[in-house]
Amino acid sequence: MIILETRSLKYTYPDGTAAVQDLNIEIKRGKKVAFVGQNGSGKSTLFLLLNGTLKPAEGEVLFHGVPFKYDSKSLREIRKSVGIVFQNSDDQIFAPTVYQDVAFGPANLGYSKERVDACVQQALEQVGLSHLKDKPPHHLSGGQKKRVAIAGVMAMEPEVIILDEPLSNLDPVGADEIMDLLNEFNHFGSTIIISTHDVDLAYRWSDYVYLMSNSKLIGEGTPAEVFKEQELLKKASLRQPTTLEIYHEIERRGLAYGKNSPKTIPELVNTLKPLDLMWVDVPPRVREGDSLNLGVMYGEYATQSPYEAINATVLHIHPDGRAIVELKRKGIKAGGVLLYDTDSYSLPEVNQILKEGEIVFVGAMGKKSKTLAEQDGIRLDVTSGVIDKSILMALCGKRCLILTAGGMVDHALKRIREYVEKSGIEFTVGVANREDGCKWLEETDGSPETLKI
Amino acid sequence: MTNILDDYALMSPLRHRNNWLKLTIVLFGLLAGVSSTSPITPLFIALCMSFTTVALGRAPFKLYLKLLLAPVGFAITSVIIIAFFSGSGQELLSFELIGYPLSIRSDGLELALLVLSRALSGMCCLYFLALTTPMIELFAVLKASRLPESLIELSMLIYRYIFVFLDMALSIKYAQTVRLGYSNFRRSISSMGMLGSTLFIRSWEQGDKLFLAMNSRCYDGKMTLFEVHRPVRATELLLTSAYFLSTLALFYFTKNISIV
Repeated sequence: MIILETRSLKYTYPDGTAAVQDLNIEIKRGKKVAFVGQNGSGKSTLFLLLNGTLKPAEGEVLFHGVPFKYDSKSLREIRKSVGIVFQNSDDQIFAPTVYQDVAFGPANLGYSKERVDACVQQALEQVGLSHLKDKPPHHLSGGQKKRVAIAGVMAMEPEVIILDEPLSNLDPVGADEIMDLLNEFNHFGSTIIISTHDVDLAYRWSDYVYLMSNSKLIGEGTPAEVFKEQELLKKASLRQPTTLEIYHEIERRGLAYGKNSPKTIPELVNTLKPLDLMWVDVPPRVREGDSLNLGVMYGEYATQSPYEAINATVLHIHPDGRAIVELKRKGIKAGGVLLYDTDSYSLPEVNQILKEGEIVFVGAMGKKSKTLAEQDGIRLDVTSGVIDKSILMALCGKRCLILTAGGMVDHALKRIREYVEKSGIEFTVGVANREDGCKWLEETDGSPETLKI
Repeated sequence: MTNILDDYALMSPLRHRNNWLKLTIVLFGLLAGVSSTSPITPLFIALCMSFTTVALGRAPFKLYLKLLLAPVGFAITSVIIIAFFSGSGQELLSFELIGYPLSIRSDGLELALLVLSRALSGMCCLYFLALTTPMIELFAVLKASRLPESLIELSMLIYRYIFVFLDMALSIKYAQTVRLGYSNFRRSISSMGMLGSTLFIRSWEQGDKLFLAMNSRCYDGKMTLFEVHRPVRATELLLTSAYFLSTLALFYFTKNISIV
């Protein structure tokens, strides 16, 4: 379903320079969309057009298929539904305290005092700043200000959130937190649009990318499609995402192969496996194309997890009775990622899981879970880029626990399951404190079993 | 970041107490101090207020002394002049300075002490307010006192942007300093001029951006102010009444006393 759409949109500044020319975009509901282009390519102007702040010279903007009308009542509706977070938080936060700034939007919508209060409390809790609500903005750090700005927009419960360069001036951990937050909002159904010139971010994070250059749209598509086109990137004065560049270099040297372009580091690592071939002695009656069960291997023969059940497909049989086989490995006592929903949190339970699950690596996602862990002295190995790092640890046969809450649980579960599906490397994923539980807590003996064909 | 009085007030535990109670205490202290005829009551008020500010309000003691020092310096100079040049009655001290006779008389000294104590009590009361009540708490008070809405909105925006522009001015000044903009007097003057003009233009632009930001959150010409309700607690009421009563009693019993 298309939520925002523009048709041959054009905007010219009063001095005659064109800011946006002939722009046709369609933004689908619930997607994560990135506009990528160098500075001055017209991204910020486009955002002001999408929010009804600027009126296009030609063309039109449609919200849910209805063209924008520029009278004050319709504009109010649009601005309620399409929230915008500016690049510089100081431009956006103008009230003397955090609470009052976040309350500004809901109060303007004419909500009752109680409802405004509820909206503000919820928004501040989501961004993890409830404890700072009485502070003046000049006592906050850059990342905190950005989160206040986001809370100010979230408090109006918009359908679309537009963020202009959300990560500028943020340190890496602060940036990760903002992206975690955006993923969470997206998981709850918000459509998120960002502008950035960080190609790595756009490639890794977005579902759909628009490439802009010199006030025109020069390319669009999924990140994998768009960032493959070297010529296009050159035209937009951008470079390839680092992960993709590394992958292409490795691929050119014949060290990696994969069907999809890797987006994250675990995906990149997964492409680093050439065809797994081996010489083996085979029984006389085996034909080419047959499958063999080679049993369980460990030590130096098991490359992906401590124990592996290996099946082989015979590719070629040599006259002397030996054959070349392609190996298919399945980890048996591989690592795994266990999620813990901190909405129903109890310290003894977490401690029990840590002990019985032989967990060696603990991460936390979201402000609430981090605060809980800090309070109860749970040692966190990682607090940013948690999902990727946990997957990498699980690939090395370690067991990880991720403490997280709310929509982030399902988001993480989905991401990790997708990885398992795509890579074909099996490891356990589950939510510890949900009804279906997790397999490995019951499976106590670590003895490897043979994989049946 | 603790550079200005407002920052100390923000961190003070007394910040979260009822604003009206604090204002009443200050107003009472000012009135009682000024209308007292003996220096004892104002001194008592000054002592109580200082104790509250430092012990209950957690204002750093050194900072408090430093703050007091500036106005007290002025007060003492004027008090010396009053002591020497006014009053009649019994001569307490006299000497000659370069052929000019100077003397302190009892009435003059009395008056001087009264002026000093009144000034001190007034300052302590106001510092109590300044160090325990940040500006952001006072907006609600301003609103309740029926000032025009637009004035309050403006003051809220101004308060917020003072800090933005302060940061901006400091970073511009730094940028000028590292490029030797303040190496001599002439250059300092021209650098200051540039700083001022840049700030003016920036504030103009900031106004545009502010309007944009407010509009995109459905601004309809009204900023709602949310007042936090803070009921006065029993202990607070008790302490305050004890303070008021003892001050009044002191006021009554010392009204005809002269200490000189």
